[in-house]
Amino acid sequence: MNNKVAVLEGLLFVVGDEGLTLNQIMDILEIDIDEAKALILELRQSYESASRGIKINILGDRFKLSTKKEHREYYQKLIETPENNTLSQAALETLAIVAYNEPLTRVEIDEIRGVNSRDMLRKLVAKGLIKEEGRSELPGRPILYATTNEFLDYFGLSSKDDLPKFEKQVEDVIDDTDLYHSRYVDIDEKIET
Amino acid sequence: MEYALNIDSFQGPLDLLLHLIKESKMDIFDLKIEEITNQYLEYINKMEEMNLNIASSYLVMSAELLEIKSKMLLPRHTLEEEEEEEDPRDSLVNRLIEYQRYKDLTGEFKNLEFERQKIFTKIPENIREYVEDNQVINGGEVTLDDLIAAFQKFLDRQKQKQPLNTKVTSREITVEHRRRSIKKILLAKKKVNFMELFDVINREYVVVTFLAVLEMAKEKELIIRQENNFDDIICEVTHE
Repeated sequence: MNNKVAVLEGLLFVVGDEGLTLNQIMDILEIDIDEAKALILELRQSYESASRGIKINILGDRFKLSTKKEHREYYQKLIETPENNTLSQAALETLAIVAYNEPLTRVEIDEIRGVNSRDMLRKLVAKGLIKEEGRSELPGRPILYATTNEFLDYFGLSSKDDLPKFEKQVEDVIDDTDLYHSRYVDIDEKIET
Repeated sequence: MEYALNIDSFQGPLDLLLHLIKESKMDIFDLKIEEITNQYLEYINKMEEMNLNIASSYLVMSAELLEIKSKMLLPRHTLEEEEEEEDPRDSLVNRLIEYQRYKDLTGEFKNLEFERQKIFTKIPENIREYVEDNQVINGGEVTLDDLIAAFQKFLDRQKQKQPLNTKVTSREITVEHRRRSIKKILLAKKKVNFMELFDVINREYVVVTFLAVLEMAKEKELIIRQENNFDDIICEVTHE
């Protein structure tokens, strides 16, 4: 009988940044949800020791192994020419709008930003941070956009619940939900059928 | 007023307006529309004088500001009706406030991005040797997005596999060159299946071959024939 914690560690190593869902862990190890959670917890605790260099994260709804923040400076020495690979202000702005209003159309994003976002959306789709999620029932059936799991991973978030707090204005909330229901109702069902 | 700022440092007309409002320490809920319109137009004109391209969205905003300004000048109905006259500035103010709220959020996202980049994950191991060849993916389980995502990942990984230094040599094939070889083939075989001409699959070769065939057809060096829809396309020598 193999030690399941060890197998789990190996699995997480093999899948790398693709990560594993809880369901995958249950399937592969043929265990139930409680045992799976217990295994993850056990492995997680063993990584907490200062003598270990990796840890388990939940990024974009998946369990992934990563290095530890406190060791960052050492990894940096590996990189000869540190590239500054960060998103532009325009990209962050667009992502924020999508994240709190998804799914929504390009025109709705344009309205908030006051500029045309077509190229920006294309870039973000290419980066895998947002994806097309069906079409709106509005005239012309414009494409709806939503954020992806990669988006969550990119910002180190486990799920959408971890997004920075964003209070919708009270009056807006009422309007928005009305719009939401009239425009987007049943879209998921339509995609599936 | 001196403007040391470039229009490129703004994300759009709303961003520029917010900047101007902040600069003049104006209350956003009590927008002095005349003042802000003048400042905005002045800014846009300065930019045009410097021969900078002004995106059309900035010009749309100019028009919008002027419209609000003119509405403000019109006498307001002061009839004592229940209905409250809508302030022409309202729509703009609401948009500015909404935009401001998302703009404020970007700081937090920037911070999250910064924190996330402190840790590293690795690309998955190559476990292809365990894959059974005749694995069938059930239809309907894979969406177009999955395919695109997979291809994107493949490209990314491919990029990482590339050596740091490479020498690039390109063997150039010219249309003229390809034309001569097609002519040779035609002389020998009299007719040839169009698809057969694409014996090497790389983009340059395919494009050059295609151009060569078109060119030759134009110069009446060959005839392109297709008997029925979807039949093979045959290239024949011209009988002169």
